[in-house]
Amino acid sequence: MTLFDRAFGGSSEMYAWAEKSVAEALEKYGADAAVSLPSTAYSLPCYYAVTGEKLTTLGEVKAALEGKIKEMMTRKERLHNVFQAGIATALAAEIIETMKYMDGAQPYEEPYVGHFTDAMIRELGVPLVTGDIPGVPVIINAAPSVEEAVALVKSYQAQGNFVTCVGGICDQLIEAGYNTGFNVRVTLMGKDITSAAHVVSIALRAALIFGNITPGDLPNLMKYTFERVFAFVNAFAPVDDLTVGCGAGAIAFGFPVISNDMESLKGMNVPKSLILQPDTEKFNPTSIEARDVKIKVTDIDIPVAFASAFEGEIIRRGDMQVEFDGSRVDCFELVQTKEASEVEDHKIEVIGPDLDEFEVGTKHSIGYIVEVAGRNMQSDFEPVFERKFHSYLNCIEGVMHTGQRDMIRVRVGKAAFEAGFRAKHIGEVLYAKIKNEFDAVVDKCQVKVITDPEKCTELRHNLAIPSFDKRDDRLRTLTDESVEVYYSCILCQAFSPSHVCVVTPERLGLCGAVSWLDAKATNELDPQGPCQVITKERVIDERTGEYEDVNEAVKMYSQGALENVSLYSIMENPMTSCGCFECICGIEPFSNGVIIANREYAGMTPLGMTFPELASMTGGGVQTPGFMGHGKHFIASKKFMKAEGGIERIVWMPKELKETVAERLNESAKELYGIENFTDMIGDETIAEDPETLLEFLTEKGHPALGMDPMM
Amino acid sequence: MPFNGKSGKFNAAIRTVEIGTGDKAVKLGGENVLPFYTFDAPIENAPKIGVMITDMGLENEVAGIKDYYNGCTSFAEIAKKAEEMPGADFVVLRFEGADPNGENKSVEDCVAIAKEVGDAITAPLVIEGCKNVEKDAELFAKVAEALQGKNVLILSAREENYKGVAAAAGLAYNQKVGAESAVDINLAKQLNVLIGQLGVDQGNVVMNVGSAAAGYGFEYVVSTMDRIKAAALSQNDAQLQMPIITPVAEEAWSVKEAMASEADMPEWGSQEERGIDMEVETAAAVLASGSNAVILKHPTSVATISKLIKELV
Repeated sequence: MTLFDRAFGGSSEMYAWAEKSVAEALEKYGADAAVSLPSTAYSLPCYYAVTGEKLTTLGEVKAALEGKIKEMMTRKERLHNVFQAGIATALAAEIIETMKYMDGAQPYEEPYVGHFTDAMIRELGVPLVTGDIPGVPVIINAAPSVEEAVALVKSYQAQGNFVTCVGGICDQLIEAGYNTGFNVRVTLMGKDITSAAHVVSIALRAALIFGNITPGDLPNLMKYTFERVFAFVNAFAPVDDLTVGCGAGAIAFGFPVISNDMESLKGMNVPKSLILQPDTEKFNPTSIEARDVKIKVTDIDIPVAFASAFEGEIIRRGDMQVEFDGSRVDCFELVQTKEASEVEDHKIEVIGPDLDEFEVGTKHSIGYIVEVAGRNMQSDFEPVFERKFHSYLNCIEGVMHTGQRDMIRVRVGKAAFEAGFRAKHIGEVLYAKIKNEFDAVVDKCQVKVITDPEKCTELRHNLAIPSFDKRDDRLRTLTDESVEVYYSCILCQAFSPSHVCVVTPERLGLCGAVSWLDAKATNELDPQGPCQVITKERVIDERTGEYEDVNEAVKMYSQGALENVSLYSIMENPMTSCGCFECICGIEPFSNGVIIANREYAGMTPLGMTFPELASMTGGGVQTPGFMGHGKHFIASKKFMKAEGGIERIVWMPKELKETVAERLNESAKELYGIENFTDMIGDETIAEDPETLLEFLTEKGHPALGMDPMM
Repeated sequence: MPFNGKSGKFNAAIRTVEIGTGDKAVKLGGENVLPFYTFDAPIENAPKIGVMITDMGLENEVAGIKDYYNGCTSFAEIAKKAEEMPGADFVVLRFEGADPNGENKSVEDCVAIAKEVGDAITAPLVIEGCKNVEKDAELFAKVAEALQGKNVLILSAREENYKGVAAAAGLAYNQKVGAESAVDINLAKQLNVLIGQLGVDQGNVVMNVGSAAAGYGFEYVVSTMDRIKAAALSQNDAQLQMPIITPVAEEAWSVKEAMASEADMPEWGSQEERGIDMEVETAAAVLASGSNAVILKHPTSVATISKLIKELV
């Protein structure tokens, strides 16, 4: 038997059952008897949603069964046909259920629920839309044992899901005295498999009410249920043909079926749709992953408080229970992207001794690896997550964290230790925060906390450092030419309404805080947020870095205030500044060069203006040719005012800034022009604060800018 | 050469959103010109005025307001009286007392008041919350359910609770959704986009882009409204074409000019007149900046602003 045979068989069986139910009802009530499920405006909601027709009398029901439903039950061995037959099976099941309600009957008694009223759907729909109810498991048949039934239901319930039960599992929950009902989000639909139609009815009415789907618009109906209703089926063995038929319907609406029936469904698994999982204890994680259900983490399970109020807390040596110090022993923190199959969600593993095995006040190794998996996860996000660890761990009451990568220091205070804080709680915090803040890209997350010193040493050198090196290499090789898109950043438009930053790999935001990777991550995590994709397909001028698409984007995001922006020129349509630039670069006419002043610099520049004076003419989202705000890291970029000749134009910088950028700037100058120790040719405030003295110094050093064409 | 006047009407327009039902339903927005530029093109729906009452009754109100509602003993009576106020287009019920840091009235009590008010009046009803995001989300869902069919405006969904509020008001119970942001065009637009992504029809959304009393950082409010209207009309930005409603009363009556007693500030003159002045000045300014509706509470302010609108449109 193939899966097709079984689904078609189940569908025929359901059809025959429906025919029989309708025939019996017709005999009893006649063709004109009114038909509707109770307290719904949609009569038979599934039939109405799928076909757009509202059935009102028994005669119409019979006609529908023999007409539209029969038509859908084709037997061609194609995926489309089996889906259609599956939907028809659900519609037939709904008719059987409707017959139970004929003449005002109340076929379901507590604790069974059966049909949901429209009011219940509206109430349920809101948390479904908001994601407060992340998923809707439909559990069919009895679990191998009562304990397992309870455990599975409880695991779903604890995640906030709305659990629906059909058939044998209901008896098991009743036997266990399990508390069920709409309010506790566990409902017993009914004993017959046909009661599964009431779950389908929830999904389809949600689509009509919350998705504004036109009844009868089957493609959009299926799209809505697939994209927005996170239902899935857990069918315990043995699975009969009727259930397989209904399952085909579930799959058609985008709800995967997970079963442990390894015998009758052997070899019939369909990736993402029909999944065989012999281990029923794994039904929960398998289902959550298959349906891509996003579980919200509401509480952080730690014995101390967690709030930003504790972020600045200092743990002094005397108050310290234990310390992990990356400057003395091997420590590291790391985020790693893994395959979904390699990550078990919410697994926190402590490798090595726990905090209570350390002597008070001693120094140890620690490494924590947060392993994440997700369909939209990219390894480029790893450093973005990692940078948040500092803030996460500091928010724990009684824990202090400094540094990053393999240069971290973590102190746990005595009070926190006495309250029960242990190594695994570091994992709990990282897990909860990563899952919550990055839920757009992280589906699963597990944490390893390593306190075993040998393991730390090994992992630091063989895993962490190579990862960091790889990342740095990636950053170095990222050039404006090597990427497909740039990003806008309008984070500071609240106070600088017409400013737009165009963030490229070689030109970070002028505030210094938004690199191209940051912007990319911001865009993925918050698609409606301040960073939007800017294409760069229509080049106007390669030299100045002008693109038609960039201009269009700038015009749009500045609400029309700016029309043209060049990425690499300080003279022609330079990029604007909000006011939060790290540095300002300004033209110095005597030497044909430019000077750069950083925000921290309080003295005079050779332009006769201080930083605040320069800032007053550069900020506010206006283009001032000859002046430009930028980030510190941009100074060593090969794209730094490339249109005017690049970094060899730099003639003056405050000493402190010069020292900060020296290494990278010298490297770039060597690569671009073959100049060794370029920074030695650049003046600073100890050499000159006026243009004449500066010019003397530059002439003496033979600064290349002197021989270049004038900028104006 | 003779002067040829050129019409400054735009090819884009603010969406029209109707609140309430029946003869008294009001339409907000719809214009394709700058505020009050009736010389460019007619403004079909003049800006509207809502009269605010609160779940706290009249105890804390100034004499002029107490006098107006004199004899009213129930919320139903107060609401009826508010609806009859000359110049009023709709009634606003504000659940000040629901605030967990204040009276912390239960959701059930609030729903009962909402039902009482909703049943008493025929004018459109606007519901304002207590500004506590969790409580408002809970409260709005229940109020939206209780007032089904009345086409009320729920004020408002904010970034923190927009999913719950917009899903309940805009999807489950077919009410109108207010989208509230804090005086920033990008945040306003982002919220509109997010609410749209939930599936709420953009035509059922009204914005509250934030306000302040005149003189209290008010330039930000004016420039935000200016820029929103400019983007909506001149750039045809569909995500900013929702009409704007601005709650004025709570801002205007809570600044020192309206609060300082006559004993403390004898040289400032009558306290009540100062409050009215603040309310009128703020309302006039936000209307001139692009608000399609204002929420006021004093009968004199309502009469004054109503006259202003009539003269200009």
